[in-house]
Amino acid sequence: MNPKLRKKIFALFAILIFTVLLGVLKGAVNIPFNKLFLKDNQLILSLRLLRILMGIVAGSGLAVSGIVLQAILRNSLAEPYLLGTSSGAGLGAVIAIIIGVWQIYLPLAAFIGAILSIILVYNLAKQNNKIPEQSLILSGVIVSVALSAIIIFLISISGNEALHGMTWWLWGNLQVYDFNLLFIVSLIVFLGVAAIYIFSQDLNAISTGEEEAIHLGIDIESVKKILILITSLIAASLVCICGIIGFVGLMIPHMMRLVVGPNHKILIPTTCLAAAIFMVACDILSRTLFPPLEIPIGVITAILGAPIFIILLKRSQRIK
Amino acid sequence: MDSLLKINNLSGGYHKETIIKDISLEIKKGDFIGIIGPNSSGKTTLLRLLSRVLIPQKGNIILGGYNIASMGLKEFCQKVAFVAQDTIINFSFSVLEIVLMGRIPHLKRLQLETNQDIQIAQNSLIMTDTVYLKEKRIDELSSGERQRVIIAKALTQEPILLFLDEPTSHLDIGHQIQILDLLKKLNRQNNLTIVMVIHDLNLAGEYCNRLILLNEGKIFKEGASPEVLTYENLEAVYKTVVVVGKSPISSKPHVFLVSRVI
Amino acid sequence: MRRIALIIGLLFIGTVPVNAINISHEGTVPVAKPRYISLAPSTTEILFALGLDEEIVGVSSYCNYPLKAKNKERVGTFSRANTEKILSLRPDYIFCTGLEQAPIIAELRRLNLKVYVSDPANMQELFNSIRDMAKITGKVKEAENLIEHMENQIEEISSKVKLIPQEKRQKVFIEIWHDPLTTAGKSSFIDELLTLAGGVNIANDAGKAYSIFSQEEVIKRNPDCIILAYMDKESPQTSVGKRFGWSGISAVKNNRVYNDINPDLLLRPGPRVVEGIKEIYNKLYP
Repeated sequence: MNPKLRKKIFALFAILIFTVLLGVLKGAVNIPFNKLFLKDNQLILSLRLLRILMGIVAGSGLAVSGIVLQAILRNSLAEPYLLGTSSGAGLGAVIAIIIGVWQIYLPLAAFIGAILSIILVYNLAKQNNKIPEQSLILSGVIVSVALSAIIIFLISISGNEALHGMTWWLWGNLQVYDFNLLFIVSLIVFLGVAAIYIFSQDLNAISTGEEEAIHLGIDIESVKKILILITSLIAASLVCICGIIGFVGLMIPHMMRLVVGPNHKILIPTTCLAAAIFMVACDILSRTLFPPLEIPIGVITAILGAPIFIILLKRSQRIK
Repeated sequence: MDSLLKINNLSGGYHKETIIKDISLEIKKGDFIGIIGPNSSGKTTLLRLLSRVLIPQKGNIILGGYNIASMGLKEFCQKVAFVAQDTIINFSFSVLEIVLMGRIPHLKRLQLETNQDIQIAQNSLIMTDTVYLKEKRIDELSSGERQRVIIAKALTQEPILLFLDEPTSHLDIGHQIQILDLLKKLNRQNNLTIVMVIHDLNLAGEYCNRLILLNEGKIFKEGASPEVLTYENLEAVYKTVVVVGKSPISSKPHVFLVSRVI
Repeated sequence: MRRIALIIGLLFIGTVPVNAINISHEGTVPVAKPRYISLAPSTTEILFALGLDEEIVGVSSYCNYPLKAKNKERVGTFSRANTEKILSLRPDYIFCTGLEQAPIIAELRRLNLKVYVSDPANMQELFNSIRDMAKITGKVKEAENLIEHMENQIEEISSKVKLIPQEKRQKVFIEIWHDPLTTAGKSSFIDELLTLAGGVNIANDAGKAYSIFSQEEVIKRNPDCIILAYMDKESPQTSVGKRFGWSGISAVKNNRVYNDINPDLLLRPGPRVVEGIKEIYNKLYP
């Protein structure tokens, strides 16, 4: 591994640890470090740790899903929610609220909704057992739009005011209280990312072109199906626990390609680190900018991410 | 020379279309074959069928005694390499990374490249005169340089059979000769069997020991260049007037195009 | 490899919170003065009306009445309260409404915090709510006094209303919001306030408490008065009058579009609803 790369990875680790510490120390309430571990404040400390963990898991999951979809669809605008995940999850959640079972079953309903919508997108796009990229993207967009329309319709005819609380969904929220759910989702994301890493070689080959990949011995149809399945599971489970957090899955992959290159064997682990840092940092900002007001994290990721990406892009263009 | 690839009654195309109609052919080890023919004769389709990108509708292809359809894809790619006409890669892999990808058919998923793999890649760079490009990024190269790098990648697969689709169409005359000389050298010295789709009839005649003239999905004429490059064959297939003479340098057949207005 | 170790390490750290969340919150607070947090303007008003003040340690940013409420610590907006802030104030009880606050309620209960939900849809439910809150805060006597006072005020208006014959009862359109045009139906609290004030809600066949109403229906039903339950910068006559087809409505023609009743009196299910009834009555029967 070349020394410049080693330095970059070391820097990423250091920044992550620093950011996590900052996340523990900072919050809507100012608690001095020596008082933080008192029994009285244990609950607040736990809430912060849960958020940080959620941020790391969500960041890695979304960013790596973005990498995979951008590689196999060969489209720079691909992102984790492309295949209908977000609107499917939203529809599941809305139905759960309307039926009245949302207190216990909201995440499950959202998950089922996401999975069903992905299955729908997949089957619409399929042509003779092959999935052409263009059809997949098109079906994803169509299904998303259609489901969103149904969601809006249901909200408008239903008198259920709990639906108003659904706005957190649209902009994301890292605060989780259900540790069991967080554990399950973390497990799914962890296993998913590890499985994707195993396909690094295939992703490298597919980046050079679909036919090129076949010429290198990659069974692209099977690989595409498996990877779409894994990214769908990751995206669906993340959406049902923390809502829709945009920008991370779309831009962090591009940013990291500019920093460490397109080789997926290096890109995937470093992107996990970078995305974790980004999410935790955005979460800290969302909690500490205007306390006790909490700015939804999706707003912060968008506002913060765009300029960082532009800076990196300009730098890389100058080097060229 | 031994038989390497046997093509039996092959028919195939895209979706329900049949572009290649009932072709039978035998490719021997050490052949340097040129596939020529008019634009829609099915040259690229034939190549795609032979390299497993397309599945045949009828017939089969036997490589070294085994039906290629029943081989594992990676196993097949350890023996057969393919250079496409124009490869545009939008990701900024380094040239070395691209060439090293040629080892993928020989590596398991999580296996790292060994020093031997890197040495093979290095040799390919030397053979294609691209060592000086090693650290550059693939999306910064000219099309000639890129073509040589893609050929280096194919050579890194250490194939026994190399398919090329119009390898010289985007190159200037200097680079055309450079690539074809390289291929001829590999064919002679390393006994690499080469099947090349090429539209320049004269280059085909110079370098290939066998020519296959395709027309409307069928083999019109097949054999050594003097047998195939005759004005009767070419006028029948290309529907234009030609005169066939001899190259003053190599005595191989040379095709002169005849204008109808000058 | 290192990445895997990092994630495992963090998951391990994450097991710490699970024990913490299961800790009951009660044991950590010495029972000195009780501490209450109110997440809604309506419950804030009720708490103050019951004579509490020092005990109220946190309110939402929308709690603006009484004036003393404005000096209290803010714990968030109406729809999004900050959990960390709430925890740091160590409340014994949290008061809020249902509706949009439902997700927060679930979260707070999960942290073993005690939450009382006050979501009255009519006067009787409001009285019950006041009594419940009184029981929790130990202000039962004050609650009975408050309720008696409110009942007297209502009785005062009701007796005047009884004297008005049915035909002279004013037909009213209650406009909750202009875009989309939203009104209050029969099951809403404000409908009861209107009825107690002697008005007739032209939208009383709308089933839901709040629903989008058709402009044509308003024109067809020709209300005598229109009450705008929101703050409007323009003069109500102009903003409503310039709507297409509305200039012919009685209320517009006779200059009886009112936007000067404080919406908080109409929409907050708290002690000041009786003032709201009075104001409506004064507008309808000047």
